[in-house]
Amino acid sequence: MFAVVLLPNFRLQAALRFREELREKPVAISDEDEAKTGLLEVSAAAESMGVRPGFSSPQALARCPGLTLLARSRPQEQSAQAALLEIATAFSPAVEATAGGYCTVSLQASREKDWPALAGRMVEALGALRLSAQVGIGPNADLAFLAARQARPTLVVQTPGAFLANLAIHELDPPPELLAVLRDWGIHHLGQLTSLPRGELMDRLGPEAARLWERAAGRTERPLRLARPAEEFVEAYDFEHEIDTVEPVLFLLRRFLDQLALRLENVGRVAGRMTLTLALANGGAHERSFTVPSPTAAVDVLFRILHTHLEGLRLEHCATGLQLRIEPAQAERQQFQLFESPLRDPNRFGETLGRLAALVGQENVGAVEALDTHQPGGLRLQPPRFHEITRDAPLADDLAVGLPLRRYRPPAPAQVHLVQHRLVSIVSEKARGTIREALGPFRASGGWWESDRWATEEWDIALENGGLYRLARAGHEWRVEGSYHAPAAAGGQPCVRFAGGFGSEGLDGSDRSDRSDRSDKSDPSDKIAGGSFAGPP
Amino acid sequence: MSAVAIDPWRGLPEALPEALSEGLPMGLELAPGLPEATRERLSGLRRLLAEKYPAAERKPGGILPTGLAPVDAVEGGLRRAALTEISGGAGTGALFIHAMLRAVSREKCLAALVDAGRSFEPEGCAPSALTRLLVVFCEDPAQAVKAADLLLRDGNLSLVLLDLQAAPLREIQRIHASAWHRLQRLVEQTASALVALTPRPMVEGARVRIALHAQWTLAAQRRWRQDLTAEMSARVFPRHGAALSGAPGGAFGDAAWPTRKESVSA
Repeated sequence: MFAVVLLPNFRLQAALRFREELREKPVAISDEDEAKTGLLEVSAAAESMGVRPGFSSPQALARCPGLTLLARSRPQEQSAQAALLEIATAFSPAVEATAGGYCTVSLQASREKDWPALAGRMVEALGALRLSAQVGIGPNADLAFLAARQARPTLVVQTPGAFLANLAIHELDPPPELLAVLRDWGIHHLGQLTSLPRGELMDRLGPEAARLWERAAGRTERPLRLARPAEEFVEAYDFEHEIDTVEPVLFLLRRFLDQLALRLENVGRVAGRMTLTLALANGGAHERSFTVPSPTAAVDVLFRILHTHLEGLRLEHCATGLQLRIEPAQAERQQFQLFESPLRDPNRFGETLGRLAALVGQENVGAVEALDTHQPGGLRLQPPRFHEITRDAPLADDLAVGLPLRRYRPPAPAQVHLVQHRLVSIVSEKARGTIREALGPFRASGGWWESDRWATEEWDIALENGGLYRLARAGHEWRVEGSYHAPAAAGGQPCVRFAGGFGSEGLDGSDRSDRSDRSDKSDPSDKIAGGSFAGPP
Repeated sequence: MSAVAIDPWRGLPEALPEALSEGLPMGLELAPGLPEATRERLSGLRRLLAEKYPAAERKPGGILPTGLAPVDAVEGGLRRAALTEISGGAGTGALFIHAMLRAVSREKCLAALVDAGRSFEPEGCAPSALTRLLVVFCEDPAQAVKAADLLLRDGNLSLVLLDLQAAPLREIQRIHASAWHRLQRLVEQTASALVALTPRPMVEGARVRIALHAQWTLAAQRRWRQDLTAEMSARVFPRHGAALSGAPGGAFGDAAWPTRKESVSA
């Protein structure tokens, strides 16, 4: 058995998929590229008011002043055709994309033999995708097609002879001249045609009449040209007017996702990546791709990702069109241990990362990635890969030595006083005072084989006021790289003095304001002169 | 589960707030022999209380061990679903962050570091610990609070470290008290632990305040970091309570919970 799934008024249906409000109204569709052809298809409401396909727009509007004229949208037709093939493929792998708006399905290998129920499910599945379908089932493809044209909405041809006997000849779309001859002969139904002897008919009217006779007898057999639906899940919409607010876009995206999620579900896939394209009034386009952290077909999750992006989006031109493409992926199946703590909601986390990136900048959020260099301070933040952490990941070892550094970004320029290659004092925005003790120099260099060669010498210094800092020298320039232990009034808070009272007792019970004062009093700036502070140690 | 008897004619027993805070309302038992109408009124009251004070009915979120002996000895670690303030010098704060990275790796959970001073240096951190850390570098404390807000609403991470120690004190003091209370309310609804690292006690909404102290010399640079961490002294102050560890009274007796006015005037 074969089934033909037919979407009547396919081009109109495709254009009205996301225009629910127009479904019951008089609507006609025309092709702007071929204006001479007139209206391509008209809705039932328009037809009831006398509008017919082929009318010119003025003719149609004269008959029906409230007629809505839509332009044909090929991207929407492609989406509808893809949805049709996906649904058909869900019932049988042998599917032929016969023409725009209908496909033929071979049900030879189908285990389901309840044909009316099968046809009903096809109609229901397409109905969920906002497509109104007619399904015909018959012993061969041509019969199934004829049945689909007669179906309201399903028709199963059990006895071909009885079905064909009362069918009008024009249903077979014969050549006009042949149809005229047959009508002159008083033959209007297929039963009348097949009652004529085939050989004599061919002798009088030629081989075309013989082929028509074969079809009328329901004896044509043809192999299907099988098609594999491309795994492209795209929905598109062309706005009638330029859009300058985000609400219509969000409204449509929600509807797109509803449809795409259903289509993904039909083929057992989930969304792995989404690409949003906004056509702009200046002819350009805004395109952005989103990787779904944990592939899913959940509409809310996918919508949040898009919503987060659109919330902060500012475009210089209005949007004229919208397209959403989803790249499918296999659903993840991962079993975590009872006390393992992976991300509870990877998609929500991905969304949070997006919000953080919008807040602080993409380069300021992520997991630490050490650069492939020994240059101090080499640090880059990359998107975290928490989902790749395995349960058997090694524990952090405790082999670190010394105090952790709080790095100044950027480092603070400093002037250092040297006496006989010994560090004596430092003046900087971050640290100033007499250097009591120093460890170093720790030398490092690299990139000598490239243009951006570098070399640095580092010291760990202890000041009289108790502060511990890392000092570096590159060429003749000194800088404070960071602090290990800064007294309260220095280091990261140069502008703040603790003037006693609450908190100045400090965490150790000592008076930090005194220390700060000592630090200031020991300011050796009065000893600094003549640029004598830079030099090799 | 212990039961608290309620006599509707005398009002709620004094033990009720404690019972609520201990998550006991579901276990409350009414005095026997009460009329049905009274029982219904009391059931309504229970529902009203649960709606009005959801936090009171919520069970404690558990503990995240820190690996710092003085802290773990008192509280067992950092309270989940609570805001903890760690105050102290920038050096002790950095040491605490590195200790928490080891703890995160040990507990196999995930953490975020919101760094208001862009001062985090991963030198010496094990790569396995860094893979569990999300770093957010912020321009100022206000931005850092917003970032922490987003991370708490996300609820995926077990620990959020809000490091303000390297930021100018004046900017930290500009954070309004309501922002801290909002963070506290947010974290109450999650299983995450929120830690605010500040140069001095100033977070009014904190449930626990830990004061870290250490005095280092350059000799520390030749010692294991683990040993340095163990040498830090910590005093733990739960909300509205006296110090649970460290010297009794001491420098933190009353000053551990300053008012906003005091904090700003300082």
